[in-house]
Amino acid sequence: MAKDPVRVLVTGAAGQIGYALVPMIARGIMLGPDQPVILHMLDIAPAAEALNGVKMELVDAAFPLLKGVVATTDPVEACTGVNVAVMVGGFPRKEGMERKDVMSKNVSIYKSQASALEKHAAANCKVLVVANPANTNALILKEFAPSIPEKNITCLTRLDHNRALGQISEKVNVQVSDVKNVIIWGNHSSTQYPDVTHATVTTSAGEKPVPALVNDDEWLKSGFISTVQQRGAAIIKARKFSSALSAASSACDHIRDWVCGTPEGTWVSMGVYSDGSYNVPAGLIYSFPVTCRNGEWSIVQGLSIDEFSRKKLDLTAEELTEEKALAYSCLS
Amino acid sequence: MEALDLVQKLVILSVCLYLSWRMIRYVWSFLDVEKDPLIVLVTGAAGQIGYALLPMIARGAMLGQDQPVILHILDTEPNEETLKGVKMELMDGAFPLLKDVIATTDVIEACKGVEIAIMLGGFPRSKDDNKDLIFQNVGIYKAQASALEQHADSNCKVLVVASPANTNALILKEFAPSIPEENITSLTRLDHNRALNQISENINVPVSDIKNVIIWGNHSSNVYPDGNHATVNTVVGHKSAKELIADDHWLNTDFITNVQMRGQTITKARRLPCAFSAASAVCDHMRDWILGTPKGTWVSMGVYSDGSYGIQPGLIYSFPVTCEKGEWSIVQGLKIDEFAREKMDALERELIEEKTVAYSYLH
Repeated sequence: MAKDPVRVLVTGAAGQIGYALVPMIARGIMLGPDQPVILHMLDIAPAAEALNGVKMELVDAAFPLLKGVVATTDPVEACTGVNVAVMVGGFPRKEGMERKDVMSKNVSIYKSQASALEKHAAANCKVLVVANPANTNALILKEFAPSIPEKNITCLTRLDHNRALGQISEKVNVQVSDVKNVIIWGNHSSTQYPDVTHATVTTSAGEKPVPALVNDDEWLKSGFISTVQQRGAAIIKARKFSSALSAASSACDHIRDWVCGTPEGTWVSMGVYSDGSYNVPAGLIYSFPVTCRNGEWSIVQGLSIDEFSRKKLDLTAEELTEEKALAYSCLS
Repeated sequence: MEALDLVQKLVILSVCLYLSWRMIRYVWSFLDVEKDPLIVLVTGAAGQIGYALLPMIARGAMLGQDQPVILHILDTEPNEETLKGVKMELMDGAFPLLKDVIATTDVIEACKGVEIAIMLGGFPRSKDDNKDLIFQNVGIYKAQASALEQHADSNCKVLVVASPANTNALILKEFAPSIPEENITSLTRLDHNRALNQISENINVPVSDIKNVIIWGNHSSNVYPDGNHATVNTVVGHKSAKELIADDHWLNTDFITNVQMRGQTITKARRLPCAFSAASAVCDHMRDWILGTPKGTWVSMGVYSDGSYGIQPGLIYSFPVTCEKGEWSIVQGLKIDEFAREKMDALERELIEEKTVAYSYLH
């Protein structure tokens, strides 16, 4: 018996990340090769024709798993009955814009989308916010959709997580699938902290700790961190466009692991509603190491945090607290 | 006592069988090794179709979830930085199946050892002049033929996508004589998938329940989508799509023009050409070629014609094919009515003309 289709919403679907993401969803990369999907794609009125073009391409690809496509500029139609919502839409930072202006635009977008989701999405809808400032957009969404369980609202740091895995695999010259358990702490911004203290490489002689294999603490505390933090900018410089392919791919990884569970012994990074773990202030959307089982994430507890890491964790928490205050000031 | 003796023997026999089975399973588990990676070349990889295609390949959409791949991505020097950016993103994807990425502007390095070659690279159409398009591309495909022949794996499977796809593939074939002619194909799967969708929308049936449309001839604005033999999977078995559509006029007019114009329609809406539907069709073409078509289903591929259906041999012409064990064969014996005959012959003439034009530029 074929499974019932799952409704997946992608906002900002006419943009670059949306264009990379929707064929991945339709191919079963996000939810598995046996899970039919119905795509809901939302964008703003000026992008309506482009959105329709994307819909045409989706049906032309004759994807067996794709059971329907709704392409709309109406948030209510877009949100109706959705089980998974990937929020790619947001106001991009333009040249000359102040941080407060970007924040202000996005706060109002996420406030109204919170409302639409809360009223029309399926119960237990899982939400992933991608558009920057991702953590704070997710927080606004949470605040204005109080009936959506707080654990169902997350933001994307899986891209940074995968980038960190890639950097380690290159440094140690192993397959990236043999590296695991890096952690991205905090904000998806330049204060994010990629932490390999607990990361391991699977070798023929068992799992080896990454810091020992890399054998270059200096690099791990400086070059490695800044490479991961600035990877997005490096890709824009090379491609002249932002990293849509890898962002879309990591969004699929985030949802897939959340819904289908993380492999035994492996954790991933997700921006989730903080509960005070690791002395991070509660009530922020903060990226933690998590394992997932039965459709639920839980923060990996009991990892040792050295002094260097502590400072980094606190710095990014401070930035998030500031962003939260800024966001709230835009609302009043 | 005999009975007890027999029971004893049975117990010992059972224990021995059980232990043997456990031992065999244990040894077998060591044989569960990963397949060797397949080397896949994508030319013109820095472009839009490449950007959509590469993550599909890296995720196993082309060759299956258990087939590791090594990607060779090639583009021209002006696109070198962009290509590097694409390689960075592929690394950042942390794809378990992707064992390595070689990003290069050197066609020889790109072709070394490749077992599958997807030729997206070509000179884009700048004027509305087909002759000009052919002129710009013959040099490219002649050079790439040479590189592939000398450096690719001897059984390399080639799929040409860049327009004019059929003629580019023919040039490739002519200048790489040691590549078996059945290994050089061109893409008409996008038109095929578009045709399936047109029927799906007409009779309001999921596209996965429709099969066996045919794309005949050339991937050009005169492409002929033939719905006469298509079938629909219903609760009471396979029904003729033609009967269910019940509108032969539509099948011979709008159905055809919709498919022919689809690319333009989408480009107009998106203000960008189709990328992911083309990339998806590329994956479908390769996957069915290598892993086989499902029983009772055929697909459309531009292949080296052998005289089937009265089409002149020695062209790259799109036919209905089934695939098994890595080889395609043209579906024979399908009835061709007068209308279809005319269309197929017109496309044959078009391809012969393109071939003539291409050759005139080479001498």
